[in-house]
Amino acid sequence: MTWLWLKESQKADEYLREIQELGQLTQAVQQCIEAAGHEHQPDMQKSLLRVGLEGRAGQGWELSLLLSGSSQAASFGKCFLDRFPPDSFVCMCQDLRVLNAVRDYHIGIPLTYSQYKQLTIQVLLDRLVLRRLYPLAIQICEYLRLPEVQGVSRILAHWACYKVQQKDVSDEDVARAINQKLGDTPGVSYSDIAARAYGCGRTELAIKLLEYEPRSGEQVPLLLKMKRSKLALSKAIESGDTDLVFTVLLHLKNELNRGDFFMTLRNQPMALSLYRQFCKHQELETLKDLYNQDDNHQELGSFHIRASYATEERIEGRVAALQTAADAFYKAKNEFAAKATEDQMRLLRLQRRLEDELGGQFLDLSLHDTVTTLILGGHNKRAEQLARDFRIPDKRLWWLKLTALADLEDWEELEKFSKSKKSPIGYLPFVEICMKQHNKYEAKKYASRVGPEQKVKALLLVGDVAQAADVAIEHRNEAELSLVLSHCTGATDGATADKIQRARAQAQKK
Amino acid sequence: MFTLKGNRLPAADVKNIIFFVRPRLELMDIIAENVLSEDRRGPVRDFHILFVPRRSLLCEQRLKDLGVLGSFIHREEYSLDLIPFDGDLLSMESEGAFKECYLEGDQTSLYHAAKGLMTLQALYGTIPQIFGKGECARQVANMMIRMKREFTGSQNSIFPVFDNLLLLDRNVDLLTPLATQLTYEGLIDEIYGIQNSYAKLPPEKFAPKKQGDGEAKKLQLNSAEELYAEIRDKNFNAVGSVLSKKAKVISAAFEERHNAKTVGEIKQFVSQLPHMQAARGSLANHTSIAELIKDVTTSEDFFDKLTVEQEFMSGIDTDKVNNYIEDCIAQKHPLIKVLRLVCLQSVCNSGLKQKVLDYYKREILQTYGYEHILTLYNLEKAGLLKPQTGGRNNYPTIRKTLRLWMDDVNEQNPTDISYVYSGYAPLSVRLAQLLSRPGWRSIEEVLRILPGPHFEERQPLPTGLQKKRQPGENRVTLIFFLGGVTFAEIAALRFLSQLEDGGTEYVIATTKLMNGSSWIEALMEKPF
Repeated sequence: MTWLWLKESQKADEYLREIQELGQLTQAVQQCIEAAGHEHQPDMQKSLLRVGLEGRAGQGWELSLLLSGSSQAASFGKCFLDRFPPDSFVCMCQDLRVLNAVRDYHIGIPLTYSQYKQLTIQVLLDRLVLRRLYPLAIQICEYLRLPEVQGVSRILAHWACYKVQQKDVSDEDVARAINQKLGDTPGVSYSDIAARAYGCGRTELAIKLLEYEPRSGEQVPLLLKMKRSKLALSKAIESGDTDLVFTVLLHLKNELNRGDFFMTLRNQPMALSLYRQFCKHQELETLKDLYNQDDNHQELGSFHIRASYATEERIEGRVAALQTAADAFYKAKNEFAAKATEDQMRLLRLQRRLEDELGGQFLDLSLHDTVTTLILGGHNKRAEQLARDFRIPDKRLWWLKLTALADLEDWEELEKFSKSKKSPIGYLPFVEICMKQHNKYEAKKYASRVGPEQKVKALLLVGDVAQAADVAIEHRNEAELSLVLSHCTGATDGATADKIQRARAQAQKK
Repeated sequence: MFTLKGNRLPAADVKNIIFFVRPRLELMDIIAENVLSEDRRGPVRDFHILFVPRRSLLCEQRLKDLGVLGSFIHREEYSLDLIPFDGDLLSMESEGAFKECYLEGDQTSLYHAAKGLMTLQALYGTIPQIFGKGECARQVANMMIRMKREFTGSQNSIFPVFDNLLLLDRNVDLLTPLATQLTYEGLIDEIYGIQNSYAKLPPEKFAPKKQGDGEAKKLQLNSAEELYAEIRDKNFNAVGSVLSKKAKVISAAFEERHNAKTVGEIKQFVSQLPHMQAARGSLANHTSIAELIKDVTTSEDFFDKLTVEQEFMSGIDTDKVNNYIEDCIAQKHPLIKVLRLVCLQSVCNSGLKQKVLDYYKREILQTYGYEHILTLYNLEKAGLLKPQTGGRNNYPTIRKTLRLWMDDVNEQNPTDISYVYSGYAPLSVRLAQLLSRPGWRSIEEVLRILPGPHFEERQPLPTGLQKKRQPGENRVTLIFFLGGVTFAEIAALRFLSQLEDGGTEYVIATTKLMNGSSWIEALMEKPF
């Protein structure tokens, strides 16, 4: 039938309709397409394939384009069959084109269709690559529209790997040639190519190629392998990946002597701070050396402060560590920290003496708490002395004593204290603290001494609403009046509330 | 699922044991202890370790040094960088991030942030514009650009959800977290602390589930709860009225049952019951929480503290020793509270006069112990507590230009973000607001005063993915706080998102959800 049809015989149409009526047309077309695949002569392939298409004029040239030319898509709308899936036809055309290309005598791979299908395109490409037929391989990839990673990029990478082995070309030229061809082609691993170059003993070329590698994670290990640790370090730092930086640091630490290692760190602040973190956890002594090298006296001071708590057990050791810290602070021109540290030493020694003489726990209490503990223990004289020695400000000392004496519920002493001189914190705190201990009786004593500004508050605290109202009215202070009013509870303070309302009304009249 | 603890592992009849850990060295010691104290005679177990969010060479080295590395069959990473906390909120929950970045020069968390942003872009499209302010913001943007180059092959074909990314350093705005948050959620966090969206509350005000139930009440707080979504971002003073209104609505709904006459009506009523009961439970919970908070906010000390804060933020008496702070120290109030106030004063005065600073420091050391000299130094390094340099106070300029202090604040029906702090408009959010309208060019001068560079980067999109905006359609900005964000700032951003003519919706990401106290605490150093 095929022949009849190709010869444009009228019979063809009859046969065709017959086959169609039998419902075997699809199968017939399919067979024709497959047969084309096993045919080696392009002309015969074309003929067989043409059967799949309607024999109208204009169809033939499309087909020949498909097999030999550049057009990839053919219109199948004019097929004899409605809805015959065009896929198998297109695939066959593509496969044949690839096969014809490799069967060409310049190439000389006489594959059959079955062999090709068995091999897969990937293997065929590999073979082409092995034969260094890079351009053809790339053309095939592009023609078949293979994804770049599997196709063009892979072949370019192979090409580049081959290129680096050309020893007669200079490093610069190779690197440039490779970069020109590859550019930013996705899926190309410059580090793989570089690794190959390194494998061929071309370290300089490898380094040049690595410059094109965007992934630091890939650059760094190879650079380390090539013993370019310092370069690796800066690459790792650029990436921001701290784990990568640590990888290089630990490598460098083993590779370089201590002095060189420290010098390298010094030029890389980010690496230096990371290494410091590492030392803080793992090698405290090294941390100290690092600070020493940089004359970082402030940090050295802090270092010894930490040591005085963490590593030293005995009081002498702790004081010695603090002394070193203080010296460092002086060197850092941080007078405040130095003085504070000296105070801490003084306090430590003193606490030790207190423990020896009075018993009890004093070590590591703050100065404030040491004084409080002394008062609570009834050692008022010593407390006074300590406060003087360390120049505790009057205001705070008053708060301290007030709190301690109220805790002791030593109301007599508290009263004596309150009268020792004029309170720098006023007397409201006395009222508050007595009420906190539920001692209204004592609280009232102080309420009368509270200054006019806080008087109302104090009177309310001790529950003297009536008097609070009087004071507020006297002050003609609206805020105070409403504060008192809010404390008036219906039943008992009715009269007071009325009084306030009257005073308010009067104030408004004026 | 057990929490990581030292010593022997809890007994369980299992073959495989998986450790999910942050790559931190101290955790490796615990794991090693776990593995080594395994019973040799017991059944052999398989150990696996998953690092979140990334494997760390140092940790593996430490495991090796401890002689247990070989015990792990799998050592992998679970790259969970950004954890979703709500529909509009992501956090890395890395509490050390601020300290590491600004004190220790360790940028690990910035790298993770950049990775997280890359993942986000892989899922929601390339973000065409990146804005940033601050040193860390610059670093993250650089890393993102670098990482994008590493993936040149895979063209992202997802239509972008976000129009902008705004990267903000916490140290551009050190002020905001120091102030007491005054939104409902902010106050819950300030007073009780919200951990991983759970708050532990004292049980007294809640109806006990069973007899003798003295344990803290643990409540999950997120926008899935209708009522909470409505009130979380309101100023606390506006919460009461909403709660009482809700109470009326709910009881009216329950009264409906008397009107239900026909079977059909009853059926309809019953079908609504579960929803109504949930609403009633939710209302009861929040009424109790509001009562608890009210007890605190109406206390005299809270009022005094707030007064001092507001004075500082509006620029009153920031240059001399403050009486209230002095009294707090003398009464040995919690150190964190004192530090927050002193730092706030320092920030609002562009640093304190040397004399004032030394006085505070001395008072703190004498009262709380000399060991805190380390903490004070840390605060100084972070720029929170420092001497004024150059004798210039820049804060008033910043305050006026950015309108950080608003005198007429409406807490009930806010018209400006300043409602979240009852007067103070968070600097960070103001920067975001001004970026979207009219743009940062209008505030160049202030941007130069604030630390770190400000920048803009573009990530070109293929034409097919470029957005054609409908009129009236909002832009979506992803705002990333490097170093932490507070609930009040989140509330302020949500307020901006909801503005009718705002034009910008915000999605918020951060290294850590925090408040002033947890922030300061992370910066403290306790040598013993």
